[in-house]
Amino acid sequence: MPVTTTRRQLLAGSAAALALPAFARAQSAVKPRLTAISQWSAGSDGAAITALGKKFEEKGGVWQHSPVPGFTTEMMNKLRAQIIAGDPPACSQLKGPEIAAWSKIAPTVDLDAVVAAAGYEKVVAPDLAKLHKPAGKWIALPLQIYSTNMLFLSKRAMDKAKADKIPVTWADFNELAEKMKAGGVAYPVANGGTRPDDGQKFEAALAGISPTVYRTAIMNLDTKALQGPEIKAAFAQVRKIADWMDPNVGAQHFSTNLKRFIEADMGMMIMGGWAQGVLRNAGFKFEDFIIAPGPSDNGKPVFLLNADAFIFWQRKEADLQAGQTLMAQLVMDPAIQTMYSQITGSIPVRTDVDLSGEGWSDGQRRTAAALKDAIASNQAVLSLAHNMAQENGLTAAMIDVITEYVKNKTIKPEQAATRLAEAVESAR
Amino acid sequence: MRDRTFAPSRILIYLFVSLIAAAWLAPLAVVVLNSLRTNEEIAQGSMIGWPQHVAWGNYVAAWSGFCVAETCAGIRPYMLNSALVTIPATVFSTLLGAVAGYAVSLWRFRGDSWIYGIVTLGIFLPQQMRLLPWTIVLRDTGLMNTLTGLVVIHTIQGLSFTTLFCRNYYVAIPQELIRAARIDGAGFFRIFWRIILPLSPPILVVTVIWQFTHIWNEFLYGVTFTTGQQQPVTAALIALSAAVADIPQHGVQSAAVMIAALPTLLIYLLGGRYFVRGLTAGAVK
Amino acid sequence: MTFAVSTATRPATSDMVRRLPEYLMIWVPLLLSAAHLIAFSLWTIWISFTPSTLVPVSGWVGLRNYNVVIASRNWQIAFDNLLLFGSAFVLLSLVTGLVLAILLDQRIRGENVLRSIFLYPLAVSFVVTGTVWSWLLNPGLGIQKLVHDLGWISFRFDWLIDRDMAIWTIVIAAIWQSSGFAMALFLAGLRSVDADLIKAAQIDGAGPIRMYRRVILPTLWPITITVIVIQLQFAISTFDLVRALTNGGPGIATQLPALVVYDLMFQRSLLGRGAAAAVLMLLILLAVLLPYAAWRYVQRRRAIHA
Repeated sequence: MPVTTTRRQLLAGSAAALALPAFARAQSAVKPRLTAISQWSAGSDGAAITALGKKFEEKGGVWQHSPVPGFTTEMMNKLRAQIIAGDPPACSQLKGPEIAAWSKIAPTVDLDAVVAAAGYEKVVAPDLAKLHKPAGKWIALPLQIYSTNMLFLSKRAMDKAKADKIPVTWADFNELAEKMKAGGVAYPVANGGTRPDDGQKFEAALAGISPTVYRTAIMNLDTKALQGPEIKAAFAQVRKIADWMDPNVGAQHFSTNLKRFIEADMGMMIMGGWAQGVLRNAGFKFEDFIIAPGPSDNGKPVFLLNADAFIFWQRKEADLQAGQTLMAQLVMDPAIQTMYSQITGSIPVRTDVDLSGEGWSDGQRRTAAALKDAIASNQAVLSLAHNMAQENGLTAAMIDVITEYVKNKTIKPEQAATRLAEAVESAR
Repeated sequence: MRDRTFAPSRILIYLFVSLIAAAWLAPLAVVVLNSLRTNEEIAQGSMIGWPQHVAWGNYVAAWSGFCVAETCAGIRPYMLNSALVTIPATVFSTLLGAVAGYAVSLWRFRGDSWIYGIVTLGIFLPQQMRLLPWTIVLRDTGLMNTLTGLVVIHTIQGLSFTTLFCRNYYVAIPQELIRAARIDGAGFFRIFWRIILPLSPPILVVTVIWQFTHIWNEFLYGVTFTTGQQQPVTAALIALSAAVADIPQHGVQSAAVMIAALPTLLIYLLGGRYFVRGLTAGAVK
Repeated sequence: MTFAVSTATRPATSDMVRRLPEYLMIWVPLLLSAAHLIAFSLWTIWISFTPSTLVPVSGWVGLRNYNVVIASRNWQIAFDNLLLFGSAFVLLSLVTGLVLAILLDQRIRGENVLRSIFLYPLAVSFVVTGTVWSWLLNPGLGIQKLVHDLGWISFRFDWLIDRDMAIWTIVIAAIWQSSGFAMALFLAGLRSVDADLIKAAQIDGAGPIRMYRRVILPTLWPITITVIVIQLQFAISTFDLVRALTNGGPGIATQLPALVVYDLMFQRSLLGRGAAAAVLMLLILLAVLLPYAAWRYVQRRRAIHA
């Protein structure tokens, strides 16, 4: 990296900081330092965080990153241990309603000033913004977004079904699935069978049938809505999806079946936007599949939000405080979000980022467009399966019911709906 | 050894044993084969399959190549961390367990059976249950995020097994031996050093094998109580498999698994014979 | 209790000082170990009566955590599974271990190699073996597919995706993982059977089967108890293996108590309930261990009086 660039960026950084006298003072006095905990993976997530760290260092910061291997639980164990030890990281990965829950056990940083200076609030989906300011003040910042209900269509399976129309509603979806089946596609649906995967099938079904009921029932846990006809209809749709799947999939990861999906042994997949990167990294070509928003019965796209975010924990050290300010500015920076999403295959949180340039894929453009439309029609909702709609305890109780239903064909949709309402009641 | 002719019944035995052995080796074979296939090949084919082109590169990537966030050093540094925890913890827990087992079985003191009973109950206490209490202990002792902390945890927890094994072994040593030595004026340590330790190799092999493999393969504490560059090798293995938004890197992961399992496999291969011998010599009583 | 080396004569103070190092060496580790076990158990019992969620907090909710856990489907399924898995696994691994040991005891060639093969699963991390078994047992990837590819299309081995049979896949993987240990113990036992006993039976004209049934196997009784206890401990604390193999699925059909404890404590962040589940687990353990301890006690009393 040439020195001039660094200097320019440094200047840009301090220019932004000028808007915030309090932070500017901290920043000029000490070298900003950041201790950060994130989930650790060897894949593109890891690469993206590394790139973010490089930017942090370019701005003169000291980047002390502790990646925690495993899944969210392992990371939370680590975070909990650090908090109990009285030594929280300056910043850590955390998302959804867990931000509110965790913010009650240790003091967090008030980010309102930095957020206001960056004008971030008006470019973030309203439901998403709420999650990051649980008590009215910004304490965490979302960085990238995935939609969990994108529809992936195998080109060859479409050919077999002699279909060229991308399904818009669930009726279209079901019709296409039947056509595929008739056309020789052994299993019209190619999903995996992990717990979040089963959860995604349900949330995609319900949100597609009625985003309003999804909001009241799943996000607001309205008892009446939880027992409403839409929930039963969603379970019925999930049953159809499950019946179109290869029963042998078991609890495998969706990536196990990519080859069969591309080769039209399987036809469609309801999966998060990340599947695009997985397909590409596995060596499949863009021409082999189509990405579209998940089925929505009212014709307007429904967007099930899954957003990675960073929460900022209060620290007394001046250099860590300066580091937090710098990190917050970076996370909200459109250029950084562009860099990050281009590595991971997600879309930026900011709705004002232009995705027409090179480096963005059609799938990402479509996802971003779907998000804009969904926000406009108030159909951007929070994903249950990926811990965005409820705290982990409630989510797990609901997913228990859903995954049992997916795997046990003797359970009737009505039974499942009753059980879901009961699970919510007892976990509340 | 007596010479035996190959009667039909012998052939049957061999056939049977070979079949079971083959079944036992199947999972290992899958890992070895996958360690020689590229990630792409596995993703485009199936989890189980023959390598089309032998991808030795996986081993290079696993050993010193793949990136974990900012660091691209493969599992090498984490192997060292695991060794730094496993070796001292194994040595300490084995030695202390041997002394404790010796004291409990041959020296006897007031309350010995009580404390022995409690300590050995420890093998049954689920690990998940101990995670948070250890967090508090490490906080209060200032050992959070240090390898020393892990050594302490594994030494104390390991005592349950090592004391059990050693006590059961030493119980078979005749009391007269100790009594005679005491009359000669030998003290606690002198008897341990001169009489007990020379008798101990078989059981020490058992405890060393047991402790080494358990601590080497431990994951929960390793991930929670260490940070970044101090993580044990099991953590690095999980990092390779847990990529949610990415293709699981089965090829490199399998190679890493093979490398990470080498120390424990070697210990079993070399120590297996003594393992059975050590058990024969007394631990089973 | 008899004290083999009499401590009846109280040592003088100077003697105590002289022997300080050995007291320290004996007592410090033992006390640390015992103290952590007692303290951790008490702590968990205390937490199980508090409303703790993300982090431990004080407070008192009585038996509410216990009631909720016991009433939950997850726990009920886990408990039933533990009974089935525990007994099936212990019994089958006992049999497998014994058969392997008897086979290896036939003075066969390559005993060293075979023994290593049966023991190596103990050396590998459960996380890894669970994952590999999840491929082997998956009907679309593993054994069933292999047999189909060989031409036997009607062959079915799909327990992994069958709610009622999935628990048996865990039994299979657990047997594979740990019966080597049972084998080692039994082999040790077989090797230490008194040679005179065997000779005497041979003179009586006993055939090999009769020999095992009447002479050798009865001497293995104490080892069998040891194997049962160790395998039971394995069964109750089985965690990594299930997490990687089925993760409690299909649905929640293969939940086990250890999984529920971890899930409640750390995944669902319901520490109080997780602690209650842990205490319930300890109670199950005690239910198993107390009879064993009683048996040992009776045995020891008998040995002393004999």
